[in-house]
Amino acid sequence: MVKNAFYSTTIIAACLALGKFIAAYLGGLPASLYGMLIFTSVLHFQLVNPKKIAASISWIIQHMGVCFVPAGVGIINHYQLIKDHGFALVAIVFISTFTLLSFVGLTYQHLVINKDNCNN
Amino acid sequence: MMEPLVINIDVLSFVPSIALILATIGIYQSFAYLQNKTQLIWLNPMLLSIAAIIPLLLYFKLPFEQYFHSTQLLNNLLEPAVVALGFPLYQHLTSIKHQWQVLGLLLVLAVILVIVISFTLTTVFIALPEIAVSLSLKSITTPIGIELTQQLNGDTSITAFAIILAGLFGALLGPSWLNFINVKSAKAQGLAIGAASHALGTATISKISYEHGAYGSLSLIVCAVITALVSPFLINNLAVLFL
Repeated sequence: MVKNAFYSTTIIAACLALGKFIAAYLGGLPASLYGMLIFTSVLHFQLVNPKKIAASISWIIQHMGVCFVPAGVGIINHYQLIKDHGFALVAIVFISTFTLLSFVGLTYQHLVINKDNCNN
Repeated sequence: MMEPLVINIDVLSFVPSIALILATIGIYQSFAYLQNKTQLIWLNPMLLSIAAIIPLLLYFKLPFEQYFHSTQLLNNLLEPAVVALGFPLYQHLTSIKHQWQVLGLLLVLAVILVIVISFTLTTVFIALPEIAVSLSLKSITTPIGIELTQQLNGDTSITAFAIILAGLFGALLGPSWLNFINVKSAKAQGLAIGAASHALGTATISKISYEHGAYGSLSLIVCAVITALVSPFLINNLAVLFL
């Protein structure tokens, strides 16, 4: 267990370091996203044993929420913005979220149904 | 004789830093426990922790900048957290193998659509460029949304807040809305909620069926990658268009 956690941490750190290197030279994506794509590739090409890291990764994903709290608390500095535009802000999130839900749901269902009709 | 080892740590800032980090984790874990017990979606631990910490900072007259500086360690863990998301992406690569063209195209269009709508509406009604960036990045998973916000000079706290909101809308109302507009296939519902309400929505619909959860997590991770690829170009061009 401890050994696997150490193994996972080392691999994530190595992917992130490589990601930072690529981001510094190429730019474009944030370093962490290069790191994520590198991590996916090393798993895909079986350079890393997915069974050894599965437990640690699901622990990280389950608990990562706490890392976003400090950034979120920054809303304390936006009293005036919330007072002036709070309603518009919530409305924009609401409208765009439901547009997106409907677009993806309807389009995909349409494609699936059409494909099924072709197969019949 | 060996020189004594000098550890260059400012003790005065080190101690409150640990205390604030532990307090933040403690508050978050209590709310996470509460949600786990009650199984209520809207008792979101991230949202409740923010709501609990703000009055504490005001009460102790601790400026946000100092709090953020002291808890920097937590914010720095965002980067390895994003890397860890490579694992679910790897897990879902095989399931999209035979339909990646259709899914890829659909989700690229979806991401462009939501960025254009959010950016345009925010520019028209709120007219603050950094808020427009934040709201354009609110449909994706938090660590990637915050990283991209930092890169594109948005406001991370507004992004974090908007991401939670988008997640709650999809988690609480998404399935009933999709049933209402007659989108009943499990795959279509999963993809839609993963795309619009990321991990929060996906965690909720995973309880409906395995297929909901699988397509939800596939969609949320692919959308985050697409957003990372298209948003710098798209947002810079939209900004030029509106200014």
